[in-house]
Amino acid sequence: MDLAIFLVQLLNGLQYGLLLFLIASGLTLVFGVMGILNLAHGSMYMVGAYLAWYFFQGTESFLFSAVISAVIALMLGVLIERTLICRMYKRNHLDQVLLTIGMIFVFNALQSLLWGNDPLGVDVPDALSGSLHLTGVVEYPVYRIFVALFCVAIAAALYFVINRTRLGMLIRAGESNREMVECLGVDISRLYTIVFGAGVMLATIAGVVAAPMASIVPGMGEHVLISCFVVVVIGGMGSIKGALVGALLVGVVDTFASVVVPDVASMIVYILMAVILLIKPQGLFSN
Amino acid sequence: MFLTNKTEAWFFWVFFPLALLAPLFLEQNEFYVSKITTVVILAIFVMSLDYLIGRCGMVTLGHSMFYGLGGYLFVMLAPEYETVNFWVYTFYICVIAAAIALIVGVVVLRTSGIYMIMITLAIAQMCFYFFSDSIHWGGNDGLFIYIKPETSIFGLSFFDLDNVTHFYYFCLLSLFNCLVFFRMVLRSRFGRVMDAIRENPQRTTALGYNIFLFRLASYAMASALGAYAGYLFALQYGYVNPSMLSWQLSGTALVMSILGGMGTIYGAIMGTLVYEGLHYSLEHLTEHWLLLMGIFIIALVMLFKSGIAGFLESLLEKRS
Repeated sequence: MDLAIFLVQLLNGLQYGLLLFLIASGLTLVFGVMGILNLAHGSMYMVGAYLAWYFFQGTESFLFSAVISAVIALMLGVLIERTLICRMYKRNHLDQVLLTIGMIFVFNALQSLLWGNDPLGVDVPDALSGSLHLTGVVEYPVYRIFVALFCVAIAAALYFVINRTRLGMLIRAGESNREMVECLGVDISRLYTIVFGAGVMLATIAGVVAAPMASIVPGMGEHVLISCFVVVVIGGMGSIKGALVGALLVGVVDTFASVVVPDVASMIVYILMAVILLIKPQGLFSN
Repeated sequence: MFLTNKTEAWFFWVFFPLALLAPLFLEQNEFYVSKITTVVILAIFVMSLDYLIGRCGMVTLGHSMFYGLGGYLFVMLAPEYETVNFWVYTFYICVIAAAIALIVGVVVLRTSGIYMIMITLAIAQMCFYFFSDSIHWGGNDGLFIYIKPETSIFGLSFFDLDNVTHFYYFCLLSLFNCLVFFRMVLRSRFGRVMDAIRENPQRTTALGYNIFLFRLASYAMASALGAYAGYLFALQYGYVNPSMLSWQLSGTALVMSILGGMGTIYGAIMGTLVYEGLHYSLEHLTEHWLLLMGIFIIALVMLFKSGIAGFLESLLEKRS
């Protein structure tokens, strides 16, 4: 493997990892703060991609469809939290798993009802459709670089919100001691609604930005959900920093595995996860 | 008797006679007989999951791995164009599945709760991709079983696997044996320790039990039975396919087990029957049955916490 190909693969890996981080951060945030394992998180990614396609058909403007998809996702997240998830806080993980499996069924059915089962695609927005020349012959699409930078920006924003704002302070407090936060007079249920809505929005935004890069197919949500599980298990459940490290690790390892050992590529990340769990059963960055 | 309470006895005396007579009611209709055979096989699988989750407190979302392995192991081990003995391969498959479960269990049982859910899921996915990406084991399409095994013991053959009705009765007998087996395990000293571990692992450790070994043994046992169910399924349809390993199957089995009443063992049969019955009728009602099924599952979690068995027990059992 020469240097140019290596660099391109590294970029691919980092970009895939950053996208995974965008999805996994929502999953780990919701678990860390609320103690809810949301199996339907992958479905939100799927919803994002389909919404982007739907609005792009109507408006031909990627930016507009991205914004409106994110807004709809936020509303959807708040609605789900207020009607279903809020009844699950005192129940065990098994009930949460069951509820969110039911939600996956509903989302998959709605997807096939509303948008059919054919693969769909969204065009890369014109402003980002070019390629960058890395070396003489090797090119890299601008849109992928944009996605990577966008994910970095979101990660930075998340870091800022959690570590530097009042809301972030409450989120961190809620992670370590729910009862105490409640005793201090904070409306914890409102905090939960915000966190869940934000988690859903993160997954949906990931779906929107991924839409021009991948084909939009039924079942895309489940596939990405499993990858996210690997990410958060490696990084440590509930840790945003762990999710970032885990996502980059999974992204790079998965990308290189499919080049170096294509036959067993899809197993490599799971083996990586098993090894890490053998050494640190709670993940790399667990509290 | 091995039955624990009135509800189970009631269920037992209603279900098994009806199940024995079912092929007569279905007027020898092969389609329906094979349909209920699949339900019975699935009930064995759900029962092993029910034991693992409800009685041992080990929540796994990767149980379908063993179901699939049961089928794939047969295809991998048995020569393609030779008739082999059913019992010999049953033994092989159960032993190998248990051995795999022991290895997987060492990793999985280091974790608990939410981590265990996710790591079992991930390991099952690893197995799923291994078979669906493999060129040698049929990839996405799976493999056919060209010659079904014969079932003689010392030269005496009691039934024929190709005969739909014979196979149905054999699966029903297997289900009955499973129920009796789990009842015996749960009544034994081993079962009592498992109950204690589920209720309070710390105290059980303090009593001097190595809870890791008990859990590992239970995991291996339930996995071997899960593999047995998968083996029966593969023999019934004559093929194996990666969808047998899919996480959707684990999820569905979980739903069935909870629907029936977690940890009641016999509830697994009711859960499977009701879920499959519902699935079948909704599928014929509308193309978008998945939507109704999803809503049903959500409603189940919200309203019906202890499953059908729990509901029946609250009606039939004397309040103490």
